[in-house]
Amino acid sequence: MSAWLELRGVKRSFGQIHALKGVDFTVNHGEVVGLVGENGAGKSTINKIMSGFDNGFEGEFYVDGKLTNLGSPKNANAVGIAIAQQELSLIPTMTVAENIFLGHGHVPTLCSHKRLAELARPLLDEVGLNEVSPNIHVHRLSVGERHLVEVARLIAHEPQLLILDEPTAALGEADSQRILAMVRRLKAQGKSIVYVSHRMDEIFEITDRCTVLRDGRSEATLPTSELDTNKLVSLMLGRELGTMFPAKPKQAKTEVRFTVEHLWPDSVLAPVSFEIRAGEILGLAGQLGSGSGEILAAIAGAHSVRSGVLHDHKNGESFLPASPSDAIRKKIGYCSPDRKHDGLFLGRPIVENLSSPNLSRISRRGLMQKLTETTLAKDIAGAFTIDANRLEEEASVLSGGNQQKVALGKWLSIEPDLILVDEPTRGVDVGARAEIYARIRDLADQGAAIVIASTDLLEISNLPDRVITFFKGAKTGELNGVEITSDNILKNIADPDHLELELGEKL
Amino acid sequence: MNAAGPNQFIADNDTRTFLQKFGLRIFLVFIAAVFLYFATTTDHYLTLDTLKAIVRDAALVGIMAIGLTFVTLSGNFFLLSMKETAALCIIAFAMGMANDYGFILSLAGAVAIAAMAGAIQGALIGLGGNPIVVTLGAAGILYGLAAWWSDNLVISYRRPHDAEWLGTGSLFGIPNITVAFIVIAIVAEWVLKKTSFGRQVFLIGANRAAGKATGHENFSMAIKVCIIASICCAFVAVAFSAQLSSAQANYFSSEFGSAGDYTILVIATVMVGGNSIMGGYGSTLRTSLGAVFISSVDYLMVLKGFASGARVLSVGLMIVASIIIFAYLRRGSRSEG
Repeated sequence: MSAWLELRGVKRSFGQIHALKGVDFTVNHGEVVGLVGENGAGKSTINKIMSGFDNGFEGEFYVDGKLTNLGSPKNANAVGIAIAQQELSLIPTMTVAENIFLGHGHVPTLCSHKRLAELARPLLDEVGLNEVSPNIHVHRLSVGERHLVEVARLIAHEPQLLILDEPTAALGEADSQRILAMVRRLKAQGKSIVYVSHRMDEIFEITDRCTVLRDGRSEATLPTSELDTNKLVSLMLGRELGTMFPAKPKQAKTEVRFTVEHLWPDSVLAPVSFEIRAGEILGLAGQLGSGSGEILAAIAGAHSVRSGVLHDHKNGESFLPASPSDAIRKKIGYCSPDRKHDGLFLGRPIVENLSSPNLSRISRRGLMQKLTETTLAKDIAGAFTIDANRLEEEASVLSGGNQQKVALGKWLSIEPDLILVDEPTRGVDVGARAEIYARIRDLADQGAAIVIASTDLLEISNLPDRVITFFKGAKTGELNGVEITSDNILKNIADPDHLELELGEKL
Repeated sequence: MNAAGPNQFIADNDTRTFLQKFGLRIFLVFIAAVFLYFATTTDHYLTLDTLKAIVRDAALVGIMAIGLTFVTLSGNFFLLSMKETAALCIIAFAMGMANDYGFILSLAGAVAIAAMAGAIQGALIGLGGNPIVVTLGAAGILYGLAAWWSDNLVISYRRPHDAEWLGTGSLFGIPNITVAFIVIAIVAEWVLKKTSFGRQVFLIGANRAAGKATGHENFSMAIKVCIIASICCAFVAVAFSAQLSSAQANYFSSEFGSAGDYTILVIATVMVGGNSIMGGYGSTLRTSLGAVFISSVDYLMVLKGFASGARVLSVGLMIVASIIIFAYLRRGSRSEG
């Protein structure tokens, strides 16, 4: 029997950028297919094509054996394909039932709240929201519940194929389990599911088959039973895991360079304290909303705090930067997770980006010293393998990986003692990732104290020398040396129920 | 694996269309051709005297526009209070002159008032106030003060006075106001391109959030650029008053003379110069050329016998055209942003 849905040799280009270079993908009835790959491998492009949002592709697209051109999301719905996007599209101020039937053709135009609620009930039961009232407003639901309501809305159209794009990325363990249970229920009804996730454990638990994407190509399609973590990761990366991350130093660093004491950023649940050592990469692990990013930003003066102090043991000072410029004076560099927002001056030359944090170093009595600036930029470009011949070009012409190198490298201009990097490799291709990891390790080897925060499990379990884990704004543990494994980290950032949360710490 | 090389750059420049690549050149050639046709077919246009008159006419608006360029380049949009700042300054200066305080003191008074007005507006914008609303409010206050102070009357002072050299004097046959325009244009360009302050203007204008993250706060920048723009207004007000030996609050409005509304002219000059409205891209040299361009079109229209309405209309059309053209051109080179 041929597959229910089949993509053959699908290619997609955006100008000069080839997002997909040839993808084969099939989904059968009653099957859960995992779609895995690095950021930028082409997962979301495929999802857009399968759900009718994107029609500018080359290649063949079959549904039920017939060559199809969807044309629009509406037509995709008509043939039975529905997608749950990562970003929620619910309207928070409307009730659950209203959201489920929003834009749904089969509901009478005039329909009482009671009738609507009755219609919504079986759909909610189906996604496992038995205890949620259809009349409750969506803004009162948890994020996980909202994801399930979103799915209920899709199921209302009775799709044959449901595409779930990282449904558990923002969820805690309990909500994730509800999503997985729902996937199993739908599969038992003979529906097909495409499951996109970064979480290996889920991929192994729920999928029957996996298609691995790398660099815009379908690298392999294998039954999940034939895969293990190492094999899957090396398929995704196109190289062995061991060559991705720089080797960690054998000797643990002991010189405590900074102590963060009782730091309590706004919108974070509880204050934290921890040590930062010179020459060491410290990782703050947590899922979205864990607070680890806010902690980094707070140390850099870029996020408001209720309390907290940073002790600099080398200079014998205690302070907390009140603003980014304050942090820069204290030789603290901070890269936010969104480089396009505040990490780069895209419209300005690369050289100006690299010197931007330290204009006083390249000027004398207010006058720019072009030669000093060029020398500085060339030094940084050399250290970060940025093409020195293109320093005068706008930063916007660089690829994501090179942009990230510029965003990171610019901090070398202040000769930093402490470098804080939130999501060091978001939106960066595989080759550049390995390079950025190597550069971060170099900086640590040169004696800088480095703290990274990441939601990427692979990264946070392989790059740092020490990992502190966070869950919903509270510190849940600290892992050293061999304790740093993705399983241990996941246990602490996703399922910390059995752990003593450090809530009461010296409040 | 072609995306993995260490120095792979995505050459997205090539995604620009033909028009985006060559559009500006084609457009400029077209404008030059049209302009040359009319210039050569109009009597008395292509003469040295006309050129001198054009640059001289461009000077007042040009100086104010150079000041405003700092605001625009730093990403703080426009000051809609330019002509009102000039109005209050011209009253202050004339009051000083009429009461025999002398040129220096009167000038200092006008500049001090402008600096204060600029600092307050800049602080409000720097704190996050919308530049349009803040400066529109300031415009009302400043004009109100000017009209109130002067009772809406013309304040004149007797010749000879010690400001005449600025208003009507000349250096080797070139009017002093033209000389001032050229000097200010050169200094402004030098400040923007060669000083760390100028670099900060561009960085903050290109990306305010990244500016803050790298230690360049828009708060102090907004204050500085608003003071610069306002002091340029004060200087223009003083030169204008010195020329006429008088002042009235409405000298910079369209009802006075045929020069048109200064706020519109000044913004048109910044726009026609091709400076990015969002900031981060442009130069005061472009602004100066924009001023000369607008002035030469205006002069040509005067010689062709167009009424003032048609001339104001042409300025409006130039604003719209420059927004469309420059937005279209820059969309090509910023696709990844």
